[in-house]
Amino acid sequence: MKKEYKVIGKPIPKQDANIRVTGKAIYGHDILLPGMLYGAILRTEHPSAIIESIDVSEAIQLPGVHCVITADDVDVNNIGYKRDHPILKKGEANCTRDEIAAVAADTKEIAQQALRLIKVNYRIRKGVYDAFEALDESAPQINKFISGKFENKNIAEKFHYEHGNLEEEKKKSKHIVSRRFTLPRMTHACMATSNITASFNNIDKKLLLYSSTQVPFLYQRDMAHALKMNPSDIRVIQPVIGGGFGSKLDMHPFEPICALLSIKTGRPVQIIYSREEEFIASPIRQPMVIDLTAGVDKDGNFTFREINIIKDNGAYTSWGATTPFVIMQAFSSLYKVKACRFDAKAVYTNNIFAGSFRGYGNPQATFALERVIDLLAGELGMDKADIRLLNANEKGEVTGQGLHYDTCGHKECLETVIEHSGYRTRSLQNNDKRYKRGIGIASMLHVGGGAKIYRSDGCGTTLKIDPYGYCTIITGSNEIGQGSETVLAMMASEELGIELSKIKVINTDTDVKPWDVGVHASRTSFVAGNSLLGAIRILKEKLNKKAAEFLKTSHFDFDYSDNMIIPVNTKEGIALDKVVREMHFSAPNELAIASFFYEPSSKFQDKDFKGNVSGTYAFAAQAIEVEVDTYTGNVKVLDIYVAQDVGKVLNPLLLGGQIEGGILQGVGYALTEELLMKEGRILNPNFHNYKMLTASDIPDIHFYPVETLDKEGPYGAKGVGEAPLIPTAAAIANAICNALDLDVLDLPIIPEKILTALAEKKGTK
Amino acid sequence: MDFEIINPATTLELLGTINELQSKHFRFGAGYSDLLMELKKKPEENLVVINLSQIKDTAFTGLTISPDHVRMGAMVTAHKIVMNEQLNKDYPVLHQAALTLASTQIRQVATVGGNLCTASPSGDIACALVALIAHCEIMDSTGKTKSIPITDFFLGPRKTVIKKNEFLNGVLVSANNKLSKNIYSAFLKIGTRRSMECSVVSLAYHIQTDDDGDIIHAGVAIGASAPTIRFAKDACDYLIGKRFDHIHQKEKEEFATKVLSYADPITDIRATAWYRKEVLYNLSKSIFE
Ligand SMILES: Cc1cc2nc3c(=O)[nH]c(=O)nc-3n(C[C@H](O)[C@H](O)[C@H](O)COP(=O)(O)OP(=O)(O)OC[C@H]3O[C@@H](n4cnc5c(N)ncnc54)[C@H](O)[C@@H]3O)c2cc1C
Repeated sequence: MKKEYKVIGKPIPKQDANIRVTGKAIYGHDILLPGMLYGAILRTEHPSAIIESIDVSEAIQLPGVHCVITADDVDVNNIGYKRDHPILKKGEANCTRDEIAAVAADTKEIAQQALRLIKVNYRIRKGVYDAFEALDESAPQINKFISGKFENKNIAEKFHYEHGNLEEEKKKSKHIVSRRFTLPRMTHACMATSNITASFNNIDKKLLLYSSTQVPFLYQRDMAHALKMNPSDIRVIQPVIGGGFGSKLDMHPFEPICALLSIKTGRPVQIIYSREEEFIASPIRQPMVIDLTAGVDKDGNFTFREINIIKDNGAYTSWGATTPFVIMQAFSSLYKVKACRFDAKAVYTNNIFAGSFRGYGNPQATFALERVIDLLAGELGMDKADIRLLNANEKGEVTGQGLHYDTCGHKECLETVIEHSGYRTRSLQNNDKRYKRGIGIASMLHVGGGAKIYRSDGCGTTLKIDPYGYCTIITGSNEIGQGSETVLAMMASEELGIELSKIKVINTDTDVKPWDVGVHASRTSFVAGNSLLGAIRILKEKLNKKAAEFLKTSHFDFDYSDNMIIPVNTKEGIALDKVVREMHFSAPNELAIASFFYEPSSKFQDKDFKGNVSGTYAFAAQAIEVEVDTYTGNVKVLDIYVAQDVGKVLNPLLLGGQIEGGILQGVGYALTEELLMKEGRILNPNFHNYKMLTASDIPDIHFYPVETLDKEGPYGAKGVGEAPLIPTAAAIANAICNALDLDVLDLPIIPEKILTALAEKKGTK
Repeated sequence: MDFEIINPATTLELLGTINELQSKHFRFGAGYSDLLMELKKKPEENLVVINLSQIKDTAFTGLTISPDHVRMGAMVTAHKIVMNEQLNKDYPVLHQAALTLASTQIRQVATVGGNLCTASPSGDIACALVALIAHCEIMDSTGKTKSIPITDFFLGPRKTVIKKNEFLNGVLVSANNKLSKNIYSAFLKIGTRRSMECSVVSLAYHIQTDDDGDIIHAGVAIGASAPTIRFAKDACDYLIGKRFDHIHQKEKEEFATKVLSYADPITDIRATAWYRKEVLYNLSKSIFE
């Protein structure tokens, strides 16, 4: 039975919408501290070179310049997931982003002028720009900071996973399909460019950072390690963040550089990227080559999957190298499959390094897997919808990797989009000579209740109600635009009967808020929501006791509504603020405050990567119809039908925002977006040639939420943020292949690739 | 990017300014949607910008439609073209070219003069005007004007015939025959996205038939396919006298081949020369489908 809620499930606008659309929001770019200087970074001229000398003498002389630093001027540790990344580079440059020197000056213009006065002598050397070449024995060692843990000097990280008897399942397979898929570099293109303001107080030696990190507590620790400081001497404040999408999971060199400039000058320093710098020096979605072989038995049951992935790690290792954690989940556990063997290597090259990006490897994996499923169906002569329904995941299933599907909307999502898209009944009217229509289906599995990748995947909350009946939620989690503040306020409003305008969410200051691992893995509503509900439970116990005393009742069951506490099944209650005043101001004088730490039930995976890594799992399916212009190769996405197992809709408006935004990123990934590189340099560091889609390209999106009410989730909800992007490219590719009878293996599917494929098919090219 | 700026308020003041600055390095600024990009990429030393956007003379800012021609002052914006119903009806190629230019915001400032004088091979309004066989009205600093056919206006990428003591005052398009009946006219722009897109290939055509359907006038221009926008004269001549709705497959192909003979595209980050040619050929055929 579905419970009726007063606030939860209602289309409540984002609480910070007004300040954002009126320009009142304070972004990092708006911060102006007294005496603040402007920092700028000199990057290498060559993606691979020996740095013979750096001469900063002229730059230092320039009036208005306060400080110039190079690697020789600082005593710091390397940063990055593998600590293989020097903040300032010394002796050699290994990638086009490499930071050689940094300047702090009175104005941005002076800082830029100073950069031009720095003289660097480079000895250019041949770089390695291809991951397969980097694996060749003759290739030079690209990153000198790794320990040589793996068989090849250029392997930064590797993963091996398997379940089931692969050889046995191969024998049982009626058809086996093998393909190599190539995935591009995609950039986050956040509306706000990267920014930081650092203020070091050289009296008390404490560092204050205004930073747009997604993970303030991990960041505090990473920054402390980099600067050889004590983490608690670093206070991180998050101004309003203009887009995250995973790009702010890693700490990047410009951040400790800014701190160093502040430490050296004793003045606040701000670094803000230009748009071009943002394209060049912010992280990307990992490019990779996926070799996938998969089988199916005569009845259409999936038998095995064998996967080999080579990821271009770039010159340094970020969180991006760990995306195989998620990639292997898709291969091992999306649809039932009896055996799976998975190998992935992240390989150093002189290219730009990746980071994390919404979906965390899953869009790449899902693209390969869902393409191959279409091919297997083709081999069998089976319908593409039927093969998916036959193999769909189910409630109660424990997958080969040990994921527990306590609730599972996989089949329902597939059925929903198959039905609503008219997949079975539609005729594609493909008799037009020029325009060809096609439809494609793809689905996905993603963590829906956090992901245990750190000792704790938890979140703390401190909740207080003041004597005027206002509520303050101090949460460890943070808002990066996804709407967590609003959802948390809605939960408090639902449970405490306080209207939203009386609820404040404090979430931007590490000196104030309790621990949380950060915004990633679609975890915030789930983990921070459960944490808040825990704190509410405790606080209500205190309030109930006081209310009972006051009302002289033995009742301990109360309704909280309209700022009143009312014994269940009665009419007469007491005002909430009055109860709080009683608690505060009469003996035994207690605060209306409660704290709670929520740790999801998930487990660390063992060394074989097995275990139930998330509190719950989210599923989704999309059916997408496209029309391809065979004269130009242009693809028009007509309709997107999307069903997603969200557990429970907490706020349809915010959910819709996540769905639409995610899908559009997915369409861009499928059709247009690629950071093009040649010999380590980016060819299109601008919106002119990096083809992000615009409002006029938006297709019709038909969204059908599927509610499975997970017992672990707040009100039954699961994580939703990443899912909408994950199956989109796969479904579009399948639709294009359906329209033109092609075998698409690469993204993005730009018009020229389509015309080329058509010409090759006709034998005219 | 650093420059001095001068703001003449009338054409007369503009002439004076041009005269005064003959020994200096100056550029004109109209909507600035090309100029600022250019200067950001390649800053120019000691630059003076003559701001045209404050000049109020209607010959410079107005759009007039008379029985024998359409005249657009150099400062007419893409937005103004888009909003004109008459142009939309009688010269769809021009309307469509203006409508596909950049975005709503940029169309408010982007001018016809800027689009022509920037002389980009992928200029959309310029391509439509070549198909319409427009004439460019050039004024010199003494106030004398001359009119030259648009096909003589472009010398190469970013190069026009305009001399240092001259500027573009306006553009003239001859009226269609016989009350603008039987018009087949469109701007076909190919790129990856539907707005904020620079043409990868474009094809502009403006064709008129008599009441029997025989082609009496044809203008076809290609954009982003050669160092300048080109008028496909042979292809146009080929069409004269043919029935527009009875062009058969072979003729379509012959027409497309003739259009293609004017193409000399490059391979760049946005597309290969092969792609541009392939698309141009297909688009040329598509006119009659
Ligand atoms: C984001 C973006 C998207 C764009 N998309 C398109 C597009 O889709 N299609 C397209 O065609 N263009 C596009 N452009 C280019 C530009 O907007 C157009 O070319 C526009 O018409 C230029 O007009 P303007 O008034 O802004 O020119 P300005 O930038 O002011 O001037 C351009 C050049 O012309 C000269 N000039 C201007 N007026 C005169 C005059 N009267 N006499 C002599 N010289 C003169 C200037 O000195 C300068 O060299 C785009 C530009 C941007 C920034």
